[in-house]
Amino acid sequence: MIGNDIIDLDLAARESHWRRPGYLDKIFTAGEQSMIANAENSTLMVWQLWSRKEAVYKIINRLSHIRTYAPLKYQCSKENFVIYEGRLYPFKSYQINDCIHTIAVERSELFDALEVYTGQREDWNISKDEYGIPFLEGKPVSVSHHGRYAAMIVYNDNNPGNSLIL
Amino acid sequence: MNKETLIAAIRDIVKPYTKEEEALNNLNENTDFVTDLQINSANLVDIILDVEEKFNIVIDNDSMERMMSVKAAIEIIEAKLAGQ
Repeated sequence: MIGNDIIDLDLAARESHWRRPGYLDKIFTAGEQSMIANAENSTLMVWQLWSRKEAVYKIINRLSHIRTYAPLKYQCSKENFVIYEGRLYPFKSYQINDCIHTIAVERSELFDALEVYTGQREDWNISKDEYGIPFLEGKPVSVSHHGRYAAMIVYNDNNPGNSLIL
Repeated sequence: MNKETLIAAIRDIVKPYTKEEEALNNLNENTDFVTDLQINSANLVDIILDVEEKFNIVIDNDSMERMMSVKAAIEIIEAKLAGQ
């Protein structure tokens, strides 16, 4: 399974005040908070870590059909994965201007089996099932939208018969 | 504290974080913070902190995990207030 999360840093700066007392404790572990404190750009680190957690949450939500708000259960380490319930979820993240985009997968082979689209949410024909899980013309898709940016990831043709989809 | 008072307090708390006027005006027990009010997940933390401040309670991680709707928020606030 795959998940992605996009963050508009400009909107995040206007709408989220992560220096508010108590804010970081609710969503970041002690280790993550020290990564934030020691980062050259703490604000950027906050949103990088948040986008990793959100991308992996999309995978877990898709598998479990349960919506939760448990960011502390998604643990970021310095390496390129997020740990959830003892399992490692690899991710790739990139930044263009004010946009952070993170793509997470259940297994690293899936990075080669997906296609990334950016653009406008309205241009995509997304439907949701009874659990609120999104599909693009019947195929599993992960969609993320924030401020000026939107992205979606779907399985590509390297994945015949959708054999990698669990 | 009765349910209407709680719902009114929750409406005041979520107001700055939503642009969904209609859903806000119609806010009731079945209102979902994310699907109905379109509240960004990074702002759910603010709502949790605002609820803690307003009611002088501490929302533990297990409670926070399910605090995605008005109904859940009411249950959590009532349980914490009763436990004090």
